[in-house]
Amino acid sequence: MKRKFHHPESTERELSGPKYWRSLDELADTPGFRAQLEREFPQGAAELDNGDRRHFLKLMAASFALGGIGLAGCRRPEQNILPFGKSVEGIIPGLPQYYATAMPLRKAAIPLLAETHQGRPTKLEGNPTYEGHGGASSLLAQASVLDLYDPDRATAHTKAGAVIDAKAVEDLLANINRTYAATRGTGLAFLAEESSSPTRARLVARLRTAFPNAIWAEYEPATDEADPAGARAAFGRDVKPIYRFAAAKRIVSLDADFLSAEAGSLYYARSFSNGRRVEKAADSMNRLYVAESGLTLTGSMADHRLRLGNSQVLALAAALGAKVMNNPPFPVSLAEGLNFKNQEKWIAECAADLQEHRGESLVIAGAHQPAAVHAIAYAINAALGNIGKTVEFLAVPASTAVSISNLAGSIKSGAVKTLVVLGGNPAYNAPADLDWAALQGSVGEVVRFGYYVDETSLVKPAATTQIAAAHYLESWGDARTVEGLVVPIQPMIQPLFGGLTENEVLARIVGEANADSYTLVSTTVAGLAGRPAEQVMTKFLHDGILGGSAYPTASVTFNAQGVGALFASAAKAPALSESNLEVRFVRDYKVDDGRFANNGWLQECPEPITKISWDNVIQISPALAKKLGIEPKGSALQVARKEENEFSIGKENARIFELKVGGKSISGPVHIQPGLSDYTVIVPLGYGRTVKHLRIASGAGFSAAPLRTTAAMHFATGATLTDTGKRQLLANVQEHWSMEGRDIVRESNFEKTATSNGNSYQENPAFVNTIGMESHSPPIYGAEGGKLSMGEKATDTPRGQSLYSHPNFDGVHQWGMSIDMNTCIGCNACVVACQAENNIPIVGRDQVARGREMHWIRIDRYYSSGTIDAAAFGGEGNKELPEDPQVSLQPMTCQHCETAPCETVCPVNATVHDDEGLNTMAYNRCIGTRYCANNCPYKVRRFNFFDFNQRQLDSLYMSQLGPKGMPELVKMVKNPEVTVRMRGVMEKCTYCVQRIQNGKIQYKVKMAKAGDHAKTAVPDGTIKTACQQTCPVDAIVFGNILDKESRVSKAKAREQDYAVLGYLNVRPRTTYSAKLRNPNPRMPDYAAQPLSRTEYDKKNHPAGHEAHPGAHGGAGESAAQPSHEAKKEEAHK
Amino acid sequence: MSNIFPKSANKLPLQIIIYLVVFASLATAGVTYYMTPKYTRVGYAPVQPVPFSHNLHAGQLGLDCRYCHSNVDKSAHSNVPTAQTCMNCHNQIKPTSPLLAPVRESYENPAKPVPWVWIHQTPDYAYFNHSAHVNRGVSCVECHGRIDQMDVVKHAQPLSMGFCLDCHRNPELHVREPADVFNLGSKTIAQKSGADAGMKFVHDWNIKPPQSCSGCHR
Repeated sequence: MKRKFHHPESTERELSGPKYWRSLDELADTPGFRAQLEREFPQGAAELDNGDRRHFLKLMAASFALGGIGLAGCRRPEQNILPFGKSVEGIIPGLPQYYATAMPLRKAAIPLLAETHQGRPTKLEGNPTYEGHGGASSLLAQASVLDLYDPDRATAHTKAGAVIDAKAVEDLLANINRTYAATRGTGLAFLAEESSSPTRARLVARLRTAFPNAIWAEYEPATDEADPAGARAAFGRDVKPIYRFAAAKRIVSLDADFLSAEAGSLYYARSFSNGRRVEKAADSMNRLYVAESGLTLTGSMADHRLRLGNSQVLALAAALGAKVMNNPPFPVSLAEGLNFKNQEKWIAECAADLQEHRGESLVIAGAHQPAAVHAIAYAINAALGNIGKTVEFLAVPASTAVSISNLAGSIKSGAVKTLVVLGGNPAYNAPADLDWAALQGSVGEVVRFGYYVDETSLVKPAATTQIAAAHYLESWGDARTVEGLVVPIQPMIQPLFGGLTENEVLARIVGEANADSYTLVSTTVAGLAGRPAEQVMTKFLHDGILGGSAYPTASVTFNAQGVGALFASAAKAPALSESNLEVRFVRDYKVDDGRFANNGWLQECPEPITKISWDNVIQISPALAKKLGIEPKGSALQVARKEENEFSIGKENARIFELKVGGKSISGPVHIQPGLSDYTVIVPLGYGRTVKHLRIASGAGFSAAPLRTTAAMHFATGATLTDTGKRQLLANVQEHWSMEGRDIVRESNFEKTATSNGNSYQENPAFVNTIGMESHSPPIYGAEGGKLSMGEKATDTPRGQSLYSHPNFDGVHQWGMSIDMNTCIGCNACVVACQAENNIPIVGRDQVARGREMHWIRIDRYYSSGTIDAAAFGGEGNKELPEDPQVSLQPMTCQHCETAPCETVCPVNATVHDDEGLNTMAYNRCIGTRYCANNCPYKVRRFNFFDFNQRQLDSLYMSQLGPKGMPELVKMVKNPEVTVRMRGVMEKCTYCVQRIQNGKIQYKVKMAKAGDHAKTAVPDGTIKTACQQTCPVDAIVFGNILDKESRVSKAKAREQDYAVLGYLNVRPRTTYSAKLRNPNPRMPDYAAQPLSRTEYDKKNHPAGHEAHPGAHGGAGESAAQPSHEAKKEEAHK
Repeated sequence: MSNIFPKSANKLPLQIIIYLVVFASLATAGVTYYMTPKYTRVGYAPVQPVPFSHNLHAGQLGLDCRYCHSNVDKSAHSNVPTAQTCMNCHNQIKPTSPLLAPVRESYENPAKPVPWVWIHQTPDYAYFNHSAHVNRGVSCVECHGRIDQMDVVKHAQPLSMGFCLDCHRNPELHVREPADVFNLGSKTIAQKSGADAGMKFVHDWNIKPPQSCSGCHR
């Protein structure tokens, strides 16, 4: 008999599946959704604390009873398939679509490809058409897709707190246009962010003609481009420098963090790594000198790093310039006041090295440094003949905007009647001396265009109209890359909450006839291309680039007279001490100037250097810490080296200090950071947000804004630190800083020098085999192992010295990865790319502090100081924190061991190998014993201690009693190709198995359609893991190791390639290329080998036991190291 | 003191053990039979909002599967046709039939899709891909049965992991010539020309169905 099921009618909600953008507006207004929004992270959820035990038991009993009744749960729930009414061109359910777009950020946009699933953007990749980034993208770009689905964003336009509709906004803007048309703009003022958009530039130009009396001001709290005054003085015209790092063999950075903080850092990181990458001994490698106050990512890559206060950088630049040039165009007295160890020799040798590389050297000054420093840097580059070779100057239009101080003056004088604040958040981050909140409150009418209802929106709500901004993934727009190429911003989805774009708002105010975003952009692009829009736009949107639109290169000559005026007012370097500290306000690696502060992925991502997530800290040097009487305890019995900070049960227990500058003070937790200039205090911007409904941002860190003044925006002197006696627990993901003389990150100097003693890479490219346990233990793959290729090792699984024999891998491909630590800059883009691709949940500060972060890939950061005593405890060399550490960065993720220790201990076979060498996780088998994580030598397995996806972060401990469910908006960012994991299962890096499987299937389908059915081996480069795809420096290579021509096979064939903890015979599929350093042997701080090697030698070959490279035969892993075998044979004879 | 338990109680432990064994066997047998997809899913034939007959369209009229399920050979999902696909014919044929009202309504109003009830549903953690199968000699009929003979679509096979593995372990018994993939009445190569021919096809086409977890679970 046929069984028939009569199901109830589907509800309205069930039917509204695929049309998210239409229903969300409606959904947003339903009480249920509102309640859910409010419940997501309620403050202080204390329900359990309030209820007594009896109440708890009653609830438990009730839930058991319900469980018994709910037998209906045995049936699979009814689900509907809801096809479109009319077919939509190009949409194939189940296949993602890709569109070119770009992420605008200040004056340098990042071209992107957005992956959309049925209209939802879920993942962003760099646009490969843009050669400057080669398909890579940055940490911020990777995370920005989450902002689109931020439940805390402004969801409606409001006027005096009441919701108004789109028509009312239109009327309001048209009204402004009418009112000020009569006065030609008198009384109208704009405060905007910097932008590279040609359309906005066009509209601003239109504003200038329509309302010549209106004030147009621009403000950026964190600057990432050099003060144009420097270039104007030096070259007599408006140009901006663009650096060609790939062509530079010697690079001097004067406090410039060009790998992460400068405009175009992605572009620079990529070309820098091209000059850094070494594949064989005959390759060349650039040399990086960095003088900086804090420890930045650029500083961590330096071959020679000088700790120097910001205020002394001008003096260093002058001293260096005076050595390089015969007739310096600046007074030599500028160099006075400079005082560091081996100063004369440092500067002289650095200058000599530059002079030996005329035309292939480069001096770059930090964007926050005054124009005088930039002028000297330009002068040095000009004198070395670098201009046109390693640095070019692009003719850029001069900015016509006034500063925020000028605008403040006009407001004070009462000249501003209507203030339009376009983006930004001046009430939070304007210089404190302007007292922006009071100024803004004194203006009669404020129109605020912003993505969030933030501090600026809340200054005086009664007089403020808030216009909700659209995310860039909801907008039509345009922008320019760092070298000026025009790129499109395409919407992936209709505005979720009816937001407008900045161009639309501006166009309505200036009275543009057609204020539609697309029309505005296409008009601009047609104007730039000189052809009608319909001929240009299709290709423009397809490629994501408007060819030939880059800023023209200007031919410039250095004008020594022009720069004179810059030095007249240059201040002398002050003498710093603990009572006259220097404070440096830095743009944060993650939240930038605060604009990304409500992004959970970024907040949870550890800061690359301090490794602290969810908070900012006052960073101080170990020397200053000593003077302030902060002595981290550490040196517990298990740990040989002194801790950099105090940790109690894994949480950093930081002292809260009060930081005082010029009568203003803030307080925040102090973190001792090796590598800082002694008396410089680093304070990251962007934290300490006060708006409560920004649930991620509020409560994270402290705000540095009260200390900043117009005169000292980027660094200030005269600061003091005093202990408040309070403490704060911080979520630091890496407690210990030292490798303890182990061989985790293997390093070598690059160049053969008089003192390198056979240890340099050029002399011994296979040096990795002479370090570590493997150099002493019998060869892992047996005596024959050295002769096998990578692929043969994978498929034949030679037993070697192993007790067991292992089954062979017989898949069509054998996957493997190689990570080049020589180019890795530690930017963390891979961490968030992985999070976005693999649906990795956010766990919150409390859980991170307990060591339960879920990131599948992490970047380990080690310092080495060269001082270590072999005696484990209490040795003199183990007692000091390093002042001048060398930094080693190592991305660490599942190594996909062929003989994986995790697999042997799993009682339910939830983690097993597949035939292509992947260590797979079957989530639905996992019962959560966590044995695998215990047995993993790399500590890369992550356990879902809670249902992080379904539960609210602050009611995790209420378990089943807490509210359940993922907000609709958050569901939309999930990658449908990856399982969303539940509580109690283990997870880890899968080598992006979804990309592997889909790549294989798509290739087979393509071949089947072409009639070439037998072809199933996917060509190299088709499948990229998420981390590999986003890596700005191409440090990660993934592919098929059976294919000898694949990039990964070639990378693994490099002699410096080694397996971390290889002596365990786990046979990892991920291997690492050693880190190389390229110090100058004539420099005073030259070390004949990297400090980590020194520590390794001291630890393993204590005093009296000379280093004996000859005796380290290598493990037979490499054909180039036959000495071990040779000796054995001799012995047999 | 007299005995509390009568003598017959001596047998009680044995009886308890026997009862327990019987009960456990019954329970195991019951669960094995009644709680597996073979029982819970096979035969499932819900009432659809539109009484579409595959027997009429695919069987008697001979429409190719791919006329409606047009992306089955391109995508992981086999798409259910849009109302527009139905209307290609039904604006001429039976344009006023009350049975087709939901289709016409969906065609006119994009907010009212036809709520087809999902029958062949794999769990969320299993990632099945149609294109990988139909392009490599696996016919629709292997999983869906003789859809072309069904007036009301019913779940023909359990689609359990064991069902998948049966085929992944012995693909030579299930593959068809590419021309036969969408012909539900066709025979497999093994049925036509013997198991050796099936083996040859599998070898020539390099068919290596994954048997590892990663093949389907991500």
